[in-house]
Amino acid sequence: MTKTVFIDGKKIEYEGNKTLLEIARENNIYIPSLCYHPKLGPASMCRVCVVEVEGMRGLQPSCATIPAEGAKVLTNTERVIEARKTVVNLLLSNGNHNCLSCEVNGDCELQDAAYHLGIEIPAFLIEQPEERDESGVFILRDPGKCIKCGRCIEGCNRLVVNEVLDFGYRGGEIKVICDNDIPMGESTCVQCGECVQLCPVGALIDKKAIGKARTWETHTVRTTCPYCGVGCQLELHMKEDQIVRVTGVEDAQPNQGHLCVKGRYGYDFIYSGDRLTTPLIKENGVFREASWNEALDLVAGKFKQIIQESGPDTLAGVSCARSSNEDSYNMQKLFRGVFGTNNIDHCART
Amino acid sequence: MKKENQERLKNIIEKYPKMESAVMPIMQLFQDENQNYLGVSEMKEVANAMNMSMSKIFGIATYYTMFNTKPIGKYHLQVDTCVPGFLHGADEIVEYLRKKLNIEVGETTQDGMFTLSTVQDLASCATGPVIQVNDKYYENMTIEKTDQLIKDLLEGKEPENDPSMTVVSECGILLNDRTQKECRTLEFYKKNGGYQALKKALAMKPEDIVNEVKESQIKGRGGAAFPAGVKWSFLPKNDPRPVYLICNADEGEPGTFKDRQIMEFNPHLVIEGIAISSFAVGAQKAFIYIRGEFSWIAEILETAVEEAKKDNQLEHVEITVHRGFGSYVCGDETAQIESLEGRRGNPRAKPPFPASFGLYGCPTVVNNVETLASVPYIIKNGAEAFKNIGGPNDFGPKIYGVSGHVNNPGVFEYPMGTKLKTILETAGGVKRKLKAVIVGGLSVPILTAEEAEDLSLDFASCQKAGTALGSGGIIVINDTVPIPELTLRTIEFYAHESCGQCMPCREGTQVIVKKLKGLIEGKGKKDDIDLILRLCGNIKGLTICPTGEAFTVPIQAMITKFRPEFEALVR
Repeated sequence: MTKTVFIDGKKIEYEGNKTLLEIARENNIYIPSLCYHPKLGPASMCRVCVVEVEGMRGLQPSCATIPAEGAKVLTNTERVIEARKTVVNLLLSNGNHNCLSCEVNGDCELQDAAYHLGIEIPAFLIEQPEERDESGVFILRDPGKCIKCGRCIEGCNRLVVNEVLDFGYRGGEIKVICDNDIPMGESTCVQCGECVQLCPVGALIDKKAIGKARTWETHTVRTTCPYCGVGCQLELHMKEDQIVRVTGVEDAQPNQGHLCVKGRYGYDFIYSGDRLTTPLIKENGVFREASWNEALDLVAGKFKQIIQESGPDTLAGVSCARSSNEDSYNMQKLFRGVFGTNNIDHCART
Repeated sequence: MKKENQERLKNIIEKYPKMESAVMPIMQLFQDENQNYLGVSEMKEVANAMNMSMSKIFGIATYYTMFNTKPIGKYHLQVDTCVPGFLHGADEIVEYLRKKLNIEVGETTQDGMFTLSTVQDLASCATGPVIQVNDKYYENMTIEKTDQLIKDLLEGKEPENDPSMTVVSECGILLNDRTQKECRTLEFYKKNGGYQALKKALAMKPEDIVNEVKESQIKGRGGAAFPAGVKWSFLPKNDPRPVYLICNADEGEPGTFKDRQIMEFNPHLVIEGIAISSFAVGAQKAFIYIRGEFSWIAEILETAVEEAKKDNQLEHVEITVHRGFGSYVCGDETAQIESLEGRRGNPRAKPPFPASFGLYGCPTVVNNVETLASVPYIIKNGAEAFKNIGGPNDFGPKIYGVSGHVNNPGVFEYPMGTKLKTILETAGGVKRKLKAVIVGGLSVPILTAEEAEDLSLDFASCQKAGTALGSGGIIVINDTVPIPELTLRTIEFYAHESCGQCMPCREGTQVIVKKLKGLIEGKGKKDDIDLILRLCGNIKGLTICPTGEAFTVPIQAMITKFRPEFEALVR
């Protein structure tokens, strides 16, 4: 059923049950938000996405408001802007939000909100930043930049179910903790990096990317993770031909943005000098470079010879976990259908 | 884990429909067994027993003030320095203890005997200054009594508390004769007509009880003044899910100490109210969520529940007394539900309202102690009789608590609509000259002496006067008190109690504390005053729960009504 809502006087038609923020985003109407993430749903905590809805008392968080049919919504009134400015000013005041050399400069939702609200210098006071936690192998935590939106916590507990992060303490002392508030590197964290991907600011960042490139200097290349058969979709953030960092593609199957520690951080091997670039054939105990045709012919010939001399059951195949499901299917087809043996297995089963 | 502990854990878990509700009572058990200290190894044991993550347990332990995550002295001396305590001279007690024990606030003496803390509101407003020693209250303290207390504790003696204060009941409905030793027993209660209303109610149709309560027009006594009968009628009809009733006994609004008077001395009235209300709303399970600091009152309630059960009064409902663990925000109904479900007390966004999605996702009614304690009277005597008490705007008996600068602070049960003047006179009159008064607990706008002159104490009159009756906690302030200092105490309370979830409340309270401190220390600028006012204006209504209003409204009123005092601080 088609529904209608009026946002800033503009008539918008939409389908299904959607929140005001979702409708606005689909129609390119900018409403700043901090704690909302499409994957996590509304949290209603930051109060930056508030709007005025005719007939409703007070300002409403657009992330959690499902409009009534024909609702009239205003996203830009003085009251709304004042409220947003108050929150963003407070957040900028309480912490170390210095964009100059921040890794996420240009890709920060707090910075976006401040930019749109025209806040150059925070209106209140600056707190002493807390110490950074550099103990994680791949993830750096900077509590001074944390706005306590809880997205990392939701991701850690609800999406990847590692249950490492949570809120500790309360009120002004509230902070994101690992286990019993110990350094990340000493905690049960497996460094999957889901929290980094969900962080709207620079409080959780990829250590390997530090100092490599400004966000606008990179371009993205979409690819499939080579580590296992799941086929997670990756976005490589490249500066020229070098990978700066890797993120999961949020709206793609099968991983919906999630990655494991290997897929996200284990990409150095592609730059290794030891990497093979052509097939090698060993002759008299020494490897020599060969073409693919030559190498494949040699292997095919040997297989045929073995089958002829000793029968197909003298061969066995183990498919590699790094190959895709489709490749593993072909591998068993080759062994069962072509070679004529059932000796086929997968390394993940052994 | 020790075998006997396993048994105790099982007993705790069995009290609740869902296991997760048992997490805090179990944490308490481990803390009690470890010299009042919940260390990492204890938390690990709880995490294992409950199959919860370490960060969850740590998050709970550091949210609620009653968990000690650092080792603590044998005697934990906690002085309430919130507004009423401050007016009663709590600061002098803290000063005295600092010097006497030679430690700062937050420190432990070298011999490990004493830890000194200041705490925010122990609901002993008329009996301040109050020191809580471990789980025991010492009220009406003076320097001499404090000195004696320390001596006694060093000798291993735990002296008796002196909770004396003025108690006057004109209505005689909610407050009973506490001078009678057996006042809290079932026998005494029944001798005075107790449980007859329940008997009458059980013969009625539940919807008739709801209607009677609706007709009485009783408004919630916890502070929000929502009509109780209307609240009940929001419950969905023909819903397959169980209905829960929660008696909100998390009395924590500074200036408020009325519910404890009913629970401690007239516990069966509360239980009868819960029993009738549970029957009316179809709840087979009810909880009394009582603030954890009231540990002895929780025990009184548990004893009373047992007595009532043995007397076959509670065949239709099971009542469980659940202790809170130190959080003002858990007085909010949705935060209370979260807390009862074993989580940090973060209020939930509404809708959905508890009536449709409350405890364990089931229809839930949360009512204040005083509201529920009024129900037996309504059922026994009818809505009309209730409406004959007080008026013309609001009806029924009301317990007004008076603290601060009066000669005889205490509790006064008078009809709704009684003049403030009458109550203050009954409380022995104001010490020196009245400067201002807060009539509904700390969260409502302060009134100047002139504004309060002819005030009637009911919801509508207070609203007309630009304030709110709230919980009926009346804080009297005389001409010795600088309002900026009072304002700082006020915002410090909310900064301490903010759950930290909504950014405007969490950050706003911090900034206001710092700005006010700056002003009082003579480091402020003139702009700071307007900046605080602007912040308050913008934060009001911008948060999930009413705490955003609870601190902005009183701060705004204090500054606007006494602005010259703030301006005088700017050099």
